[in-house]
Formats: sequence, C-alpha cells, structure tokens
Amino acid sequence: MSLVALSELLGATVRDATGTVRGRVREIAVAPQDHPTRVAYLIVRTPDGERALPPGALQSAGASVRATTDASQWDRYAPSDGVLLLKRDLLDQQIIDVHGRKVVRVNDVELESTPVNSHLLLNVVSVDVGARGAIRRLSKGIVPSFTLRALLERIPPRVIPWEYVDLLETDPSRRVKLKIAYEGLAKLHPADIADIVEDLPPAEREAVFETIDEEVAAEALEEIDPDIQVSIVESLDKDRAADIVEEMDPDAAADLLGELPEDRSGEILKEMEPAERREVTQLLEFGEHTAAGRMTTEFIAVDETSVVDDAIEALRRFEGSREAVATIYLIGAGNKLTGSVPLVKIATSSSAAQLSDLSEPYVACAADTPQDEVAALFDKYNLITLAVVDEHGRLSGIITADDVIAMLRHSH
Amino acid sequence: MTLLRSWRTRAALVLAVVGPGFITANVDNDAGGIATYSVAGAQFGYSLLWTMIPITIALVIVQEMSSRMGAVTGKGLSDLIREEFGLRATFLLMLALFVTNFFNIVAEFAGVASSFELFGVSKYIVVPLSALVVWGIVVHGTYSSVEKVFLSASAFYVAYIVSGVLAHPDWRAAALSTVTRPESAGFRNYGYVSMVIGLAGTTIAPWMQFYLQASIVEKGVTVRQYRASRLDVIVGCLFAAVVAWFIVVACAATLHSIGKYDIESGADAAQALRPLAGEYAYLLFAAGLFNASLFAASILPISTAYAVCEGLGLESGLDKRFDEAPAFYWLYTGLIVFGAGVVLVPRFPLLRAMVASQVANGVLLPFVLVFVLLLINDRELMNGHTNTRWYNIVSWFTVGTMIALTIAMLIAQTRG
Repeated sequence: MSLVALSELLGATVRDATGTVRGRVREIAVAPQDHPTRVAYLIVRTPDGERALPPGALQSAGASVRATTDASQWDRYAPSDGVLLLKRDLLDQQIIDVHGRKVVRVNDVELESTPVNSHLLLNVVSVDVGARGAIRRLSKGIVPSFTLRALLERIPPRVIPWEYVDLLETDPSRRVKLKIAYEGLAKLHPADIADIVEDLPPAEREAVFETIDEEVAAEALEEIDPDIQVSIVESLDKDRAADIVEEMDPDAAADLLGELPEDRSGEILKEMEPAERREVTQLLEFGEHTAAGRMTTEFIAVDETSVVDDAIEALRRFEGSREAVATIYLIGAGNKLTGSVPLVKIATSSSAAQLSDLSEPYVACAADTPQDEVAALFDKYNLITLAVVDEHGRLSGIITADDVIAMLRHSH
Repeated sequence: MTLLRSWRTRAALVLAVVGPGFITANVDNDAGGIATYSVAGAQFGYSLLWTMIPITIALVIVQEMSSRMGAVTGKGLSDLIREEFGLRATFLLMLALFVTNFFNIVAEFAGVASSFELFGVSKYIVVPLSALVVWGIVVHGTYSSVEKVFLSASAFYVAYIVSGVLAHPDWRAAALSTVTRPESAGFRNYGYVSMVIGLAGTTIAPWMQFYLQASIVEKGVTVRQYRASRLDVIVGCLFAAVVAWFIVVACAATLHSIGKYDIESGADAAQALRPLAGEYAYLLFAAGLFNASLFAASILPISTAYAVCEGLGLESGLDKRFDEAPAFYWLYTGLIVFGAGVVLVPRFPLLRAMVASQVANGVLLPFVLVFVLLLINDRELMNGHTNTRWYNIVSWFTVGTMIALTIAMLIAQTRG
C-alpha cells in the first residue's frame, strides 16, 4: 500500500506487458455511480488515440505506469460526463472543506495504490491544499525526483480526507450523475454554511441552494448577508425559491421579499402555500423600520385559564423559531393580551399550576413603533421577546432579541 | 408606495454598480500618468492631443472585458487564470505581478514625496504618514466605505480640469488638434514617436485588470446588472480621459508656449506652472498630484495581496484574522512598508523609480492581456457572453497595438 500524487501520475509513461512505452497518462477518472473513491480508469494518450486503462490491468502506478496487458487489448476511451475527471474537475479548482468549514483550492490529489493479487486498486484518499502539493507541482521536471521526494517529506502536509470534500459543480445534471449532494455541508451549523456560501462565486452559490434540503437552505439563507440573499433568490427558479422562503421565519422571509424587485417577489409569493403567504404578505405591508416590520407572527399564545401542561403541549406543537419560545403569552377575552410567562417558570413549576399565577407584567408596543424605540424597550426591560399589539390590545406578533441584535448591527 | 419602491429599485440598481469602473479608470491617472501627460504637453503642445481619443477607446475595450468577466463568472482574474491555465503559469504570473506592483507602489510613494516637496514639507514626514493612512483606510474600512473614500478621491481629479482652465489655453486650437488627424511630419521625429508610445503605455497597466475584476466580484455585480456596469466603465474612462486632456492642455498653454520644454515630472510641471498660470493653478496641480499618488498607493497593495493569494489558493480577505490569513496580511503590510521605506532612502532617485515602474508594467502587460482575451473567448466559462466577432477583431487589434507600442517603449527606454 502506498500513496501516489495525482501530479506524479499525470504525464507518467505507460508501458504495456511487453515493457514497451505505449503512451502517457492524461487524466484519471472516478465513476461515483459505481464507487465513490475508486479510480475507474486512467486515460492514456497513445500515438493512435486515447485509451481507458482500468487499475485492474495495472501492475504498478507511480512516476511510471506498468500494465499487465498488451496495448492491443486496451479499450478506446469514450468521453462521458458521468465520470469525475480528477485533473479537470479537481486540480486547481475550489472545493468545500467540510471539516475546516471553508472554501479551499486544490493543489494536488492523493491516491492510495493497493496491490491485490497481481493487479492494483487505486483509491482517492485526500486532496492536498497546502504548500507540499504546490511545491511538488511547481518543481516537477525541474528538480530530480528523489531530491524532490526528500524535500517534500520535510513539509508538513495539509490534506483534507476525501470524505470531508464537497465538490462544486454548477451543472445540475452532472451533479446528479456525480452524486454531488452537499451532504457534508448540509450537516454544518446554518451560520457556517452561510459563511462558506458567501465565499463562493454566484453560480456555485446557486448550485448549493438548488441541491441542499429546503429546511437547511432556509436556515442558512437567514444568516447570509442581505445583498447576497437577494442575488441567490433571484437566481433560483421560482418554485425552488418559494419552497425555501416558506421554510424561513416569516419576518426574515418578509425582509427578503421586500428587497426583491416587485414582480419577482410576486412570483415567489404566488408559488407559496396559502398560510405562509398570508403571514408574509401581512408583514410586508408594514414599514420595514417599525416594530411590525421586525416582528414574527409565529409565537406561542395560550388561553389565560390554561395550566402548565397546556403550555407544554403548545410548545410541542410549535414549529416556529427557537428564539420565539422564550415566552408564552396569555390571551383573555376578546383575544386581548393579558400576561406573559417566561419559559423558565414553565420548566420549574408543577404541571397543574395555573399560568395566570405564574404570569408577569408584560411589555408590549404598538405596530408602528419605530425600531430604535423597540431597541430601547429591550434594553430598559432586559427583554428576550417583546409583544406587538394592535389598537384593540390584541397580540399580532412578537419581536425576538436576535432580531434586535441584527437590527442594531445593521444600523451602525 | 409602489411608485416609490420601483423608483428606489431603479436608482438602487444604478447606484449598486457605479464604482469599480469609475475608480479604476481614475487611478490610472497616477503619479506616472500625470508625469507623462505633463511632459507631453510641455514638449509638444497641443500636437499630441489626437492620441486621447484612440487611447480612450483602447482603455474602454480592455476595461469592459475585465468587468464583463467579473460579472459573468463571479471570480477574480487570478482565480480564472489558475483554474484554466494551472498552477505553474499562475505562479510565474503572480511573481511578476508582485514585483511589478512593488515598483508601482514605490512610484506612487515617490509621487507623494515629490508633491509635498513642492510645499517644502519633508518626505520623512509625509511618506510614513501616508503609508499609515493607506494601511488604515483599507484595514479598518468595509468595501462600501472604502469605495466612498475612493469615489471622493476620483472626484478630486476635477482639480486638474480647473487648473487647465486657469492656464487660459487656446480652446479652439486644442479642440481642433484633438479631432484632426496628426501631421505625418511629426512621426519622423524620434522624440514625438516615443512620446506617443509613452502615452499609450501609461494608459493600461496590468494591475488594473486584476483590480477592476476583483472589485466587480466583491461588489456582487452579476450578469443582470451588467449593462449598468458597462456604463460605469465607459463613464469612468471618459472622465479619466478628460482629466488627462486638461493636464496636457494646461502644460501646453503655459510651458510649451514660452518654450519651457525641459520638465520631467508632475512636480516639475506644477513648479513651472506657478509663474505662468498663477498661484491657484500651481496649488491645484500639486494637490492633484498628491491625491492621485495617495489614491493609487491605497489601491495597489491591497489589490496585489488579493490577486496573489487568490491565485495561489492562500487564505485572503480583510474579514479574516491575522493568524487565519498570514500570507495575505504579510504581503499587504510588506508592500506598504517596503514601498514607502524605499522612497525614504536618502537621495533616492524618485524619477527613476517612476520610469522603472512603467518598464515593469510594460513587460507584464502583454501576458495579462493575452490571458484576458483567451479567457473571455472561452465559451464554457463565459456562458454566452464571449466577445462577438467584430468585438474580437477590435480587441485583438487593440491588444496587438498596445503590445507593439509597449515593446517599442521598452526598447526606447532601455536605449535612452
């Protein structure tokens, strides 16, 4: 078992069973449909056309390649876009390092060659993104190979194991064929996904948002810089955009749609489910810089006669954001807001306790309160959530502390 | 509300893309550019004004390609060269870009030094202070705040237009020689030809291609906004050309008309203008030189650090901490510290530094332009936005002429 670099293999002379030089390695192909890491064949340029040489027909692969078969038995190479070409698709290109959570450029690819019976198995094991790969390629053919090997051993490697590599491919049909699903990326925290996506060129951003799960996409989109948000949503087709926007917090969705050109936001709204569309449309009608423009309509409100158990049941059924569950609001006659119970009290009280006994005086503001006054209320009363009420004292939405922090950061 | 919103959207669309093209074209009128235009006016009067139109066209064509590439691919020029031409080509090009831009940075700080020497302020005070300002602007600003500073600096080029007016030129003669074909007799004069070459050579510098494309990408301009972005490039180039025209005219109307041909730099020109065009023209000219030099000195180090790091796949960006992107910060800081430091060497030949920077630009330019043309005609990459046939003819002709002129300039300068 030994490691061999892609840059060593590329351009290596290929000898057949008789020991005669028949050509040079031009490319190395992996067929992800068959096996995620195994090399399917080497593409060898010979005087009479290109041949596909599977590792099963190889005796050794390194600075020179030796086949176990005669050159006349090598198959002709037929181009296919269902295979990953390591030089074209990987070398010098950007990839997502899922482990290090950033976008990096590939300097070299490391393959592991394992002798099995009398032939080889070649597997992609990692990509080199450090100085070692770069120096190897820069000095190839200039520095003698044994000096180079000795030199390279002194350089600490910076490699990313293949399972932490997410490839960037902008062609949707090729993504399917190459089984690129951004599974690694999708497991990261939405804020990390957002950082990575912000570092990508627009077409690659679009590719990610076309592919990953809608819920993950929505959470990540909320964390992305507003200008980039707009350009991503504009580039997606309207069905996909609607699917993602539906999953977003209504207030974030309204902010986003408010930034889009009107015909575009109209198209997306039309594709959304009626319930989500209604909420977002309501929010869109309020001024952006008022309490109503900042609020979300997804909150927990229970009848003032309920007990702790009812509140817990409401919590279980709640699908809104985690920030919104910090306070449970109490509603009395005529849907009027009558009190608020912090989540902590629910957690520390017996299940039969009356919520009205746990209730604290609530802080509320009107829908048209300017956003700086909203921030002042949060500061003065040390709030986690703030109720927004209409002219009849009915609860129309809540503002959460994370929205206020975002708002303050943007206004400075 | 609807009306307001659609108006806002439209205004935002235009404002959203103005900047990169305008800034890049103006930075082109840096210390070296001002020197060349001044000398051209002093030595040959109005007779070189015809070069302004072809030079502007060449500038627009080259800049338009870079900004289109940025908008379509969303990637910087060094990224694209790396992805399409591999590590070795990129490494050599980045090495050359680094060395060339270092010379340019030295030349800009030399411009800062010489503009303040006019006011009797020592370079040992001005240059370190300027270096500090340059370092601070970029490290502590966001892209949009830095852009505002740069746009204001661009506006300050109006100083040259005013000093051109104060020089009371012969407007009719100046206008006529801008649009009439040059007399063929002039081309038998060696000095005249080398001045034509110098004017063309100072117009398009390699770093501009990298800077413009990177700022288009950083600004997030996409294909959809491309029309507005092209307008930004064209307007920027026109403004830069008008400024250059006024510099030539100012020197032609004063220095050339009394037979004072022997100036060598922008500072010389300002000095010589004083008794001829008055105190204000002198002050504006000197202040313009300082502004232009400081402006270019602010852009070059950061643009170099970005291009080199992105091409070589090193971590880059001002949003990263020092230990996350050490190469980036070392490059950036090193270019400023050494660029300014070299100028502080006692009896440092300021003028020779400017000439050296133009020679370095000339050597690198052909390579960069050929890469740009190859990339912009790559169908897969440009996705339907490659050059049209006639545009290709015009741009290869432009690039060919630029390359020929630059080579001629190099020969002339190594001989002279």
